[in-house]
This record gives sequence, C-alpha cells and structure tokens, in this order.
Amino acid sequence: MPIYNAPLMKIDPKETRRYAGLMKAENFEESRIEEACEEALLLAMPKGIWEIYDYDCNTQRIATDPPFTILGEKIGGHLAGCDKVILLAATVGEDIEETVTKRFQKGDYAFSVLLDAAATTAVEQIADAMEKAIRPKAAAKGYDMRWRFSPGYGDWPLEQQPDLVRLSHAEKIDISLSESLMLMPRKSITAIIGLYKKDITTTKAPAHTPKGCAACDKLDCPSRRA
Amino acid sequence: MIHIFDGAMGTMLQAEGLASGACPESMNIEHPDIVQKVHEAYIEAGSTIIETNTFGGSALKLAHYGLADRMEEINIAAVNIAKKAAGGKAKVAGSMGPTGRFIKPLGDLDFEEAYQVFHEQAAALAKGGADYIIIETCIDLQEMRAALLAAKDACDLPVICQLSYSEDGRTVTGTDPQSAAVTLSAMGADIIGVNCSLGPEQLVPIVRTLAENCDVPISVQPNAGMPYLENGETKFPMGPEDFGTWGAKLVEAGATFLGGCCGTTPAHITALVKALKGISEPERKKEARPLILSSRSKTVAIDKTLPTRLIGERINPTGRKKLAAEIREGSLLSVKKEAVNQVKAGAHLLDVNMGVGGIDQSAAMKRAVMEIAQITDAPLAIDTGDAKALEAGLRAYPGRALINSVTAETSRLKEFLPLAKKYGAAILCLPITDDGVPKTAEERIKVMGTILKAAREQGLRDGDFLLDSLVMTVSADANACHEVLATLKGYRKEYGYPSTMGLSNISFGLPNRPLINSTFFAMCLAAGLDAPIMNPYDEAMQNALMASAALLGKDPNGLAFSKNEANLSVPKKAAEAKEITTDVLSAIKLAVIDGEKDSIAELVEKAIQEGHDTNEITEKSLTAAMTDIGEDFGAGRMFLPQVLLSAETMREAFNKLKELLPAQNTADKGTFVIATVKGDVHDLGKNITGALLANSGFKLIDLGKDVDSQEIVKAAIENSADIVGLCALMTTTMVQIDKVIKELHEAGSKAKVMVGGAALTQEYADAAGADAYAADGVKAVELAKAMLENN
Repeated sequence: MPIYNAPLMKIDPKETRRYAGLMKAENFEESRIEEACEEALLLAMPKGIWEIYDYDCNTQRIATDPPFTILGEKIGGHLAGCDKVILLAATVGEDIEETVTKRFQKGDYAFSVLLDAAATTAVEQIADAMEKAIRPKAAAKGYDMRWRFSPGYGDWPLEQQPDLVRLSHAEKIDISLSESLMLMPRKSITAIIGLYKKDITTTKAPAHTPKGCAACDKLDCPSRRA
Repeated sequence: MIHIFDGAMGTMLQAEGLASGACPESMNIEHPDIVQKVHEAYIEAGSTIIETNTFGGSALKLAHYGLADRMEEINIAAVNIAKKAAGGKAKVAGSMGPTGRFIKPLGDLDFEEAYQVFHEQAAALAKGGADYIIIETCIDLQEMRAALLAAKDACDLPVICQLSYSEDGRTVTGTDPQSAAVTLSAMGADIIGVNCSLGPEQLVPIVRTLAENCDVPISVQPNAGMPYLENGETKFPMGPEDFGTWGAKLVEAGATFLGGCCGTTPAHITALVKALKGISEPERKKEARPLILSSRSKTVAIDKTLPTRLIGERINPTGRKKLAAEIREGSLLSVKKEAVNQVKAGAHLLDVNMGVGGIDQSAAMKRAVMEIAQITDAPLAIDTGDAKALEAGLRAYPGRALINSVTAETSRLKEFLPLAKKYGAAILCLPITDDGVPKTAEERIKVMGTILKAAREQGLRDGDFLLDSLVMTVSADANACHEVLATLKGYRKEYGYPSTMGLSNISFGLPNRPLINSTFFAMCLAAGLDAPIMNPYDEAMQNALMASAALLGKDPNGLAFSKNEANLSVPKKAAEAKEITTDVLSAIKLAVIDGEKDSIAELVEKAIQEGHDTNEITEKSLTAAMTDIGEDFGAGRMFLPQVLLSAETMREAFNKLKELLPAQNTADKGTFVIATVKGDVHDLGKNITGALLANSGFKLIDLGKDVDSQEIVKAAIENSADIVGLCALMTTTMVQIDKVIKELHEAGSKAKVMVGGAALTQEYADAAGADAYAADGVKAVELAKAMLENN
C-alpha cells in the first residue's frame, strides 16, 4: 500500500477556470484565478495512497477477502480485459475547505468559489501524479492503464464508496466517510484504475468507454469540456 | 578504461527455476549454485563488473518474505557467490535497490529509517567483500540521498548511484539528470548513472546531461527496449546486436561503465563488448567547476557570466513579530507564502531562517525545508548559526543547498565545514573572525583566504564557494561603501569565485533608505556582485537591477529592458481609459453587473448627493442589474463567479445605502430560511444561493449544513418564514428533503418550499411535494421573487 504525497508546485489555472464554470466567460480576470490557485497551493496538504489487486473482468470481482464485486455496467465495460486493478485515494486535506467557508462568511463569495475550484484541480493533479508514479511499475510488467473511474461516474453506485475507502486504505491518509457516504475532507477522491496487458498476439482491442466529461450524462454541467 | 557490467538477473533466475512471486534473494542461501551460474554466464560474456543478487536485499524488502532477520546472511552469501564466480577476473558490485516506499513528506517512510536499512545492507555487502556499492533504479532523489549517505557512512567502497528516468527525462518524482548530477556528485558519489525504465536510445541524452554536470565517471544500464506481451509472456524488443550498436553512442555521450537492465542477457553483453572493442574513453570537458545549487527538480548556477541571481531574504523571523509568533505556534503558512511569493517576484534562491527563540531549531528547520521543497523548486539556503539545525536542514533537503554562513570563527569552521562536505552543500563564506568584523577590504580578502584554506582542507573545492563582502553601515563608517566595492573587486581578482551580500545594512540610520539601497546596489553590481541577498518585492531594487543589467551587458543592448512595460513612456494601460457613463443610476447598474466592488460606494454616494432615494437606487439600479444578470446567466453569457462578484458589489451598495440613509428601509421582500439537510456537509452551493438572496432584498436565515429536520421546522415556524430553501447534494441525502417537507406540513407551516442541489431534479422536487426546484442560485432568486409576488 504505497503512500505518495506528490509535490504540488503549481495548481493549473486553466483547469481551475473550467471547474469554476468559467470556460465560456470572456473578460474574467486571470489574476483572480491565479490568486485562488496560489492560496490553494499554500493550504493544500496533498496525500495519496493506493493498493493493487487481482481482478476478474468477467465477474467484475476484485480478489480480496471477502471478494468484492463492482456494480455497474459502465465500469464493467471500462474494466473489460483488465486482470488487475489499482484502488487509489487522494486528498488535499481540510484546510482549504475551511478557508473556503471562512472566506465566504467574510463576504468574498467569488474568491471562495474559485478557491473551491482550485482545490478540485489540486486533487486531480495529485491523482495524476500518482498515476505517473504507478505507470512505469506497471509498464515494467507489460501493463497499460485505463483512465481512472470513481464511484458516482456513470452507473457505478455511490453505495460502493465504503468498499473503495476500505480497499484503497484511504483512512491511512486521514480520509473518512460520513454516514451519507461523503468523503471527508470533502476535497478527496477515490478511484479505480484498470491494468490490462497489451498483448500483441490478441487483436481484440479492449473495450474503451469515452473518457472524462464525454463519459458523463450531465450534459448541462458548467464545467463540462467542450 | 571502459567497464562492462552484467545484464538482467531476475529473468535469468526465473529461467533457472525461480518461482514467480518468490524472493529472488533467497536463492543466495537456497540455491547458490544457480546464482553462480548466472554470474558465470555474464563473466563468460565479458562483464568486468558483476552485480550481486541483492537488489531487494534490504531488510524492508526482505520483510515481505519474512526474511528480514536474515538480511546480513543473504547479502554476505550473495557477495561470496559473486566473488567465487568472478575468480578475480571481474569486480563485484553490491547491489541495493529502492525500498518501494516514498520518503517523507512524499511518502510515509522516515528518512532515518531508510538510511538505517541502507546502512545495514551496505555494511553487510562490504563485510562480504564487495568492491563497489551500486544503488540503482531509484526514482526519488531523496531515497538516493539516504542510500548514498548510508553507504558512505557504512564503508569506504566507491559508490555508484543510478536513478531511473521516465520518458519525459525526469524521475517519477520530478528530478532531472542535471539536478541529480549536481546533488549526488557534491555528496561524494563516485560514479553517477542511469538504469532501467528506458531503452538505450532514450538514455543517450540523459547520459550526456549527467556527463556535462559533474566530473565523476558515468554509468548506464538500459533495458532492451520497452517491454510488450506476447502469448502472455513479457518480452523485450531489442536483440543483442541492436543493443550492442548503442554502446558506442553511449560512450560518446560520456559513459564509461556500461551494462544492461531488464530484458538483457549474456548475449546482449557479448554484443556490447564486441561493439565497444577499440572504442576509447570519451573526452570530458575540463572546465573549472561552476557553483550550481539544486532543488529536487531544478538547478541554479551562480557565475559572473550569468544574469544576477536573487536570494530571497524574507523567510526570516528576525524583527518580524507576526512571522516569529506564527513559527513559534507551529504554523508555516506565512513561511510558505513568502516562499511562493518571492519566487513569483523573481527570487532564484530562497534563504530559510527559523531563528525564533524558545523553539526546537532543528525540528523547525527540518519541517520548513521539507514543506518549502514541496511547493517550490527554487534551491534553498539554510540560514542558521546552530550546527544541529544546519544538519537537520541539510539532511532533509532533497537537493544541493547553500549554507548561510561559514565564518572564520574557529567553532564555525570546525562544525560547519564537515557538514558541508558530507551533505554536498555549497558555503556562503563570511569574513568574520573570532575577533570580529575586519574593517578594510584588504583584511576581509585575507580572512576569506583563511576560510577557503580551511574549507579546502576539508575537501571542499571550486564550485563550493559564494563569497560575502560584508556590508557595514555607512552612517557609522564613512568608508563602508568603498570597502565593500574594493572587497568585491579584490575577491574577483584574488579568488574568482562568485559573490554575495546582504545589502540593506548599508542605509541603516539614514532617511530614504530605498534610494540609498538601490544606488548602492547598482554600484555593487558594477563591482562584481553576482547573487545579492535581498527583498525581491522591493521595487526600487528590482528597477536598479533591471537598469544595471542593461548597462553592464547582462541584458545585451537593453533588449529585455526595452520590452518591460514599466519602461515604456506611455504605459499601455492608459490607452484603454474607461468610458464614463453620465447617468449615475446607470453607472451603478453597470458597476454591479461588472462586479466593480471598489467603485460602487462612491457611485452610491454620488447618487444620493444628486437626490436619488433608497427606493429609486434599489429599483432602477440594483434590482435592474440583478434582472439583467439573471437573464445573462440564464442565457449562458454570464457565469457563477461573475454573478458572485456582482453580489459582492450589490452588498457594498446596500451597506452604503444603510450607512448614508439609515432611516430609509432597503426593500424587504420576505423571509427566507435556508439549510443544507441532515447528513450533507457540502454547503458552498447553499451559501451561494443564500448570498444572492440576501443581496436581493430577502431577509435570510441561514441554518448552515447538516441540519436536522426538526431544527428547520422550528426555525420556519418561529420566523414565520415565507420560503424554506432546502439543499441536498447527494443521492444519499436527498431523501431528507421528503422528510423535512412532511414535517413542515405536519407542523402547520405556511412556508413555500424551494429545493436544489446537484443530485436533485424537477421530477424529484415534484414527487417530494416541493413548491419549486431551483437549478442554481440565480434561478432561486428569480423563483423566490415570483413566489412572493403571486401571494
């Protein structure tokens, strides 16, 4: 169960702009976005952890004791052809969300929303860095990685969040789950990454679901990528 | 001389019967004959250095197989097997691989624990009689530092340090080959190199960069290309002949120790030996070693031929009560802020001083260094007079730091110089003796000679020194400036090393210090100052630097100077003067729409002076603005953060109205009780809606998040709420909405119910019996107004 708290040197203003729903906004000062990204950088306490498991894509079952079956057709399709999965958890800690609340109460509404968006960007960047750390180890064994998928995407029920928290050992990086299945701190994610072998002898291309926003049904989302 | 390592060990052992998933190192005690056979095959192929079968032989790794307590036995056995196989024909390198965990703060493994396991393993390998220690396949510079320090402390063998790089030319944790070469060579690595992850073609440029940035031999052990799968078996694409042909290119790039990693076999080594026959050692440039500092992922060189480097001085609690208090309380927020902001303002290096009384200096320095290194890639200067704090900082720093400072005082020389050598740090040399500060340039240059001599005796050399010319106060000593200038020139003439100084002391006790400081700065730059320690936020200093660079040829022909906006006679900003609307009510409306919070109070004041009353301003400016904003938002022309800036502006307008015309009521549109339901802790969406309502004339009662249904009902009744707004973000919490609506009805509340939140839909709202569903905060305001107008 490797722990990797990736260094976070800069939070991407472009992604922050997108998460703040400002992609189509003209004339929104870049300096406001940058200010939020810088504040988030100071407040973020990046943490990440993952664990690798054997996986049976026919039964959608992860080899743990007791075995854990992933529910949902989309995630099943996404992991088709994979014989190992990585369950990961990442967080930026509580300080950012506390500041988001505090600054909102102070009346800095817009800044709070931008800070919240920067925190979302930061969590994704941390998970990206974890993927970068995992990739060479997987590649050395001939594995390639599917893009990461989280409970709540597609038809993967949120009710499986407790199992993801357990199997990724998220509690070791101080992520917990509320009774209503919310990750605490809020700016945390759990996700699954499928590992498949790029066997040159098999011609059948593994089933790929559309990536990221394209996979999501919420068409009116203000952060949806064009 | 070209040295030839062996190739892969693990796959050879598997071919000889090692079960997949079994501990390869256990073969050293269970099947020494098989291990010996592999070694012999490589010696037969022409290897002149073979690696022991101990890549995973640290106690941490062996623990996975329950073999931690046999660590020493396994490692000694491995060396014995290799020596037996070599029979004096080849040297034996004791292999140490990574622990598989990241060092704090990147991971959960303590630096000292990593150091300890590497120390034990290196000691065992040395005890067995190895000729080299080879630390290989590390992806984190800090783990390599721990292993190198441990190996150096555990034995006297030459140490080979090989990191693994990804396709982007950096290790997984971001280290580039230049930073690695600078950091590891300064720490005393005897051979620096690269292995695994990539094929020989991709390693050529990495070998070249390593060779250009240090003067020790370079080693390289590529994979046989990138692995792929065939019939379920991992294979490597590069055959022996092809692999061998890369040998000459790797030597030409600077390598003299060559071998193979994953996918290579004795046949690959044979081909390599054959291809290298008659190839002579590469020419390495023999220039004087420059002063280069490094973080985990970036190097900064200081030299008279390079642009001036700024050392940011702001991470220093001396004379700054607030910062000192924060550090004392254990918060590093301001320290981190200073780090990021100084780099943004142009600092290339950051000085870190944690000199606060009454705290554990070592612990504070260690933590500051670790946390700053996580958020900025500017190399650090460890600024302390405490040898323990210095060592704590140097040990924790994943790069090559500068020590600030080493004086000619007996205790400093004795305590600091060995630490500089051990951790590969450069030293800032300050000409102060046990007797105090020498006054004249001549004396300072002489004292500097004493420091440099002592440093060289400890093994420090060219490229390790930054000379401080020591600035005294001109108000106390009329010659202070002259002596500094003469010292700078003397240093350059006598020693040729780059120079530094803390500038601001010169103006102490004088008025208009910025003018004195910046003028003095320009003089020093002309006299040869290379890396001032200064406040990078100081505009006068930055201007002096920019102008001096143009004048002194560091900014050739003033090109950068000419491009700087501040130097243009007509600043660009002036060209876009804002159109001024004549009608003040329209101006207020526009300011709200544009979110111009800073100008709104003035406009409201002007409107009142012109005789407009609260009602008129509210209706014609503020409400009108909100209507336009609602339309623009609905049509996708305006977006949430912009709406919120407008809300902030609106609030300022209302506040000003209340302040100037307290008797007149700002419109009261009704009472709105709002809450995020029980179990739900997301409250930003609810807060946004609340803020928009409150700034649209509603009396808002915000109950917060995770609110019990009974509490919501109670608040609705007690406040005679006109509307109750309920927010739920998750499918798991939206059922609470049904509950609250039911209980409101049971309690006889007349309030209308509006619901919203990411998981909710119109259908769900209808089924739950809500009066309205608001998809967003702007919609909520619109709906609330409509609901109450219809009443």
